[in-house]
Amino acid sequence: MNRNIPSISKLNNLFLDKELKPSELFEQVYENASFTESILHAHLELFYDEGLENSKKSDERFLKGESIGKLDGIPIAIKDNINVYGYKTTCSSKMLSNYVSPYDATVIGMLKETGSTFTGKTNLDEFAMGSSTENSAYGPTKNPWNPDYVPGGSSGGSAAVVSAGSAVASLGSDTGGSIRQPASFCGVVGFKPTYGTVSRFGLIAFASSLDQIGPITNTVDDARIIFDNIQGYDPKDATSIKPEYTEPKNKKLKIGIIKELMQEGVSEDSQNEVNKVTQLLENSGHEVVETSLPLTEMALSVYYLIAPAECSANLSRFDGVRFGLREPASGSYEMMNKTRAVGFGEEVKKRILLGTYALSAGYFDEYYGRALKVRSKIISDFQKAFDDFDFLISPTTPSPAFKFGEKTENPLEMYLSDLCTIPANLAGLPAISIPTGLSDNNMPLSIQLMGKPCSDYSLLDLAESIEDMVSFNHLPKMTKGDK
Amino acid sequence: MTKDFNIDDISNLASIHLEEKEKLKLQKDLEIVLEHVDALKNIDVKDEKIDIHPLSKVLELREDESTPSLSHEDAMKNSPETKDGHFVVPPSIE
Repeated sequence: MNRNIPSISKLNNLFLDKELKPSELFEQVYENASFTESILHAHLELFYDEGLENSKKSDERFLKGESIGKLDGIPIAIKDNINVYGYKTTCSSKMLSNYVSPYDATVIGMLKETGSTFTGKTNLDEFAMGSSTENSAYGPTKNPWNPDYVPGGSSGGSAAVVSAGSAVASLGSDTGGSIRQPASFCGVVGFKPTYGTVSRFGLIAFASSLDQIGPITNTVDDARIIFDNIQGYDPKDATSIKPEYTEPKNKKLKIGIIKELMQEGVSEDSQNEVNKVTQLLENSGHEVVETSLPLTEMALSVYYLIAPAECSANLSRFDGVRFGLREPASGSYEMMNKTRAVGFGEEVKKRILLGTYALSAGYFDEYYGRALKVRSKIISDFQKAFDDFDFLISPTTPSPAFKFGEKTENPLEMYLSDLCTIPANLAGLPAISIPTGLSDNNMPLSIQLMGKPCSDYSLLDLAESIEDMVSFNHLPKMTKGDK
Repeated sequence: MTKDFNIDDISNLASIHLEEKEKLKLQKDLEIVLEHVDALKNIDVKDEKIDIHPLSKVLELREDESTPSLSHEDAMKNSPETKDGHFVVPPSIE
């Protein structure tokens, strides 16, 4: 256990042994949020009244010996691009500042069935487009390890609340690394499941062939518990799959280090963590060998055509007619143009324009069509790699967290911070980031593991064994009482 | 490849009004990104297939059965302006 809040399994035992009540835990978590929120700005909205009421219902269930399961009474924060009935879903955009969700996302309905409580909605880069939360229309979230540094993004709020102890766990969404990169920057665990294993119904779409909901937690076991409770086929999501989870053939695993993610452009700090973990794995009897996936170097270019193309289509629904902002105008076309000009921030406009261009007549084949074909080649490369290897290892990020404003001038600088995470989204693979150490300036470092599709549970098992070997037990600067 | 990029045409297609100052910054940023993605031109994609779903899943349609859905009232609740159960928009013929 690496936090000031125990793991979900331990909390469940404390509830069962009547040593702690879920409502007491909720009050503690809320108190942590009260201490840290004025600086971190990680929650956009706190659900105190309903959260406390639900946790008291959990109290009664534990008292009567009728608890539902391990998540009963566990406070979870929700990224503000996932719909929770009766609450705002702003996507950190002016466009949706007054949008109140009329329905629950499938994952929210599933979590409600578990008896968990929600702490509130967390900050993100507008419409999940960014790597630092600097693109939130409501102001950035700060990193609990040092508020001069970004928490990563786009699920920066979801990572910061877990890191600071303002929630036991959170849900994020990951289109190009938006769960793993902020988890890495905030020293917590971030898990992107296999594409299609967790329903996207009720997640405000950014890039539909890449988006995936997943957990951000203190421990790998916490991630496994959350994943277990939100995964499964959903007929409301056409891309949902009926997963048949796989296990590796042998106990002694063969793990590949992706050569292209261990070279220039990736800091020594980040590479050292992979080397450190490699040594530990070898000491445990696993085989770790360098392998080459040359097209990984093209992943960023493929992503920055496919994601904007899909976003330009998905975000066309924000036109001032059925929901969201509307700017006054004398005609419909003028109204749409003005509404989208005022409602969207710079990064969102940039990606919509890029996607519109890539899909426009005369350029479709040259840009979007070509990117889709290179994506297929990247998928084939991974398939071939998994003929030889059980899992792949790399840094999660090319560097530890950076300072505010450091990468806002040149878009490529910011985009490159997702260099190591994007390939798993393009190929639909499960991938996890786990904290493994600290940099010289005391910011968290991590490694990333990737598995073949539907190897989610065995990937979590390997991650847990690394977690045990590494024993990352550092606490962020910004915890309760250390404002 | 980027010489044909016209910010006015694209913003018009995307239905986003841009201020002059904004145009300059966006044009510059987009040219940087387009220059970077130009690298894809060097990849041989002849005869390559396209995967819409990363796991090559064939997208299924649901059974043609009616199931509970949002009420008409709930579906209209977030609209900026409604009248008699309809969305109200400014005139489309000006």
